[in-house]
Amino acid sequence: MRKFLFWFITFIFAFIPLYPKFPLFNISGTFVAVRLEDILIAIAIFLWGISVILSGSLKDLVNDRLNQAILLFFFVGIVSTFSAIFLTHSVVPHLSFLHFLRRVEFILLLPLVVDVVKKKSQLITVLVVLALTVLAVNLYALGQQYLDFPVISTSNSEFAKGLILRLTPGARVNSTFAGHYDLAVFLTMTITILTSLFFVLKKRFRLPVIILGGLSLFVLVMTAARQSFFAAFAGMMLVFVLANKKKYIFLFVVATIVILLYPSQLRDRLVSTITVNLFQQGARYQGKTQDQQIRSKLNIPTLAIKTSSQSASASSFASPSGKLATDIAPGEPVNTTQLGVFRSFEIRLNIEWPRAIEAFIKNPFLGTGYSSIDIATDNDFLRSLGEVGLLGTIALILVFVEIGKRIFLAFKSDTKLIRFFSVGVFSMMIAFLINGLFIDVLEASKVASLLWLMLGLGLAAGQI
Amino acid sequence: MKLFFIIFSALLLVYMLWPGPGKISDFKALPQSDTSTLSGDTVQIPNVAGYFSNNFREFVVPFYVANYQQQAYFPFPPIRINHAPEYAWTAIKKYTDSTYLEELVYPLRDSLYVNGFEPFYSDGSSKFWGATKFAVNGHSWFTKVTLRFYPSNIIVKFLVWLGISLSILFTYKLGRKII
Repeated sequence: MRKFLFWFITFIFAFIPLYPKFPLFNISGTFVAVRLEDILIAIAIFLWGISVILSGSLKDLVNDRLNQAILLFFFVGIVSTFSAIFLTHSVVPHLSFLHFLRRVEFILLLPLVVDVVKKKSQLITVLVVLALTVLAVNLYALGQQYLDFPVISTSNSEFAKGLILRLTPGARVNSTFAGHYDLAVFLTMTITILTSLFFVLKKRFRLPVIILGGLSLFVLVMTAARQSFFAAFAGMMLVFVLANKKKYIFLFVVATIVILLYPSQLRDRLVSTITVNLFQQGARYQGKTQDQQIRSKLNIPTLAIKTSSQSASASSFASPSGKLATDIAPGEPVNTTQLGVFRSFEIRLNIEWPRAIEAFIKNPFLGTGYSSIDIATDNDFLRSLGEVGLLGTIALILVFVEIGKRIFLAFKSDTKLIRFFSVGVFSMMIAFLINGLFIDVLEASKVASLLWLMLGLGLAAGQI
Repeated sequence: MKLFFIIFSALLLVYMLWPGPGKISDFKALPQSDTSTLSGDTVQIPNVAGYFSNNFREFVVPFYVANYQQQAYFPFPPIRINHAPEYAWTAIKKYTDSTYLEELVYPLRDSLYVNGFEPFYSDGSSKFWGATKFAVNGHSWFTKVTLRFYPSNIIVKFLVWLGISLSILFTYKLGRKII
């Protein structure tokens, strides 16, 4: 059974990143669908549960401190869901319950992998499969950009039905991840791990790793995800420091500066972040008519307001030249890149983050329940505080602290592979959490599943 | 620490079970108003009440803050949370017109949502084309306010308190082992 589970979980390691986000069946009230990978994970967890019971190791599992932290997190999740349904009335019951189950599904992958991967050869097998998977993901991303490969996206409710799309001009690649941010987070994880493994490999394997890492970095730049680029930088720096390879830091910093200087969407967005978001610079749209100027001050800006008929009839937002965004409002940057960066930050600052803080205020201990603060908060820490309150957030922190401590211990392993892989996994975890400052990474199904799988692999490596 | 936890839990229980309003009719009607009997208002959906009046947001929300505090017997007012008007379809009922929506809440207790639909500014000038006054019972009103109260029963509050207390206890014990 364990052997079968190992191959099954190895298959899942490859399947999750590679299988596009086609919905299997939809849930009323949300455009988040149940997908094939959910079924596969459920089967894996079910089989593992049976094997645990049959082998009589359930008691040992429950007595494990990390598993206790995970169980505590689930317990608070259940109490929070109950409170959200019956006390704060802040959720649709079936949605909240399914969102809770999603967390259970993702996190249980961790003890499963720890329990199944027991040998160094198994660890190497999984790493080889992962490397090939990363290569396929990157090649598919290039195919989307240059060869018009199909795009599956979940960025809105219509796309999430499983529409086959093509990349439009200026759109960013997402490969098999259905969202460019998700792909960027995956590549952040990949690059961090590859950096650490580079130091373990024999010379003949180093070139393929450099090529794979370079390709991943190239695709990461194509996603133009600023936060993930920064997280990858932090993750790699941490690898150099923890692996005691400080002489690479200077080279790495120079390479990063070169990448940032090279013209790309990423560079433009980074510059706009500083000029628009931090220093409020850039030309702003003033509104062509009195009608637009007044309307933009209403909390329902689509309402027709009382101005001159001439003003109202001239209130088209789209410019004939097409240089202005068709939906631009007065006060927003005129430049389209700046506009995207401006909105990206304003949505977080004025809508998503305050919504999470308000949820936290309503119930500081338990939050207002899973699914209560809409589909995105774009900050996992605020989201956690809003959804499961202080208690749920502390429980989750305990899980990460315990994982971090255990992986840290493996830094002293006698086996070089395990030592460096542990450094990579630890750095990957930190990079992942940095991503969580501006993206909901712990809820993004593909990368969240992969995080727990990789952390499980890191812990399993420490026990080999 | 044990004593601190026991005192904290006891105070939390008292706070959560403290008597307060149990239904929408426990709240006062808006002064100088006509009660709405339109479909879904006041008479059909439990704990919803609608009022037509000339009271604007600056008066309405503080009025219900004071009224809620009075009903809850607390020495401090409920917290005001400002929501987007479109959330009125969820918090009040579907198809509710809205230009503002505020939630008055005592954390870990009940919420009173105050929704206002104001087609006019307080000086009487219209906010948008097509704005019309509400003609009710021979009166002509500038605004409509719809309230929805979300009470919860005492057993639910007790179970949530129990869940919180147990969670704190487990977190403390495990936290000491891990950190």
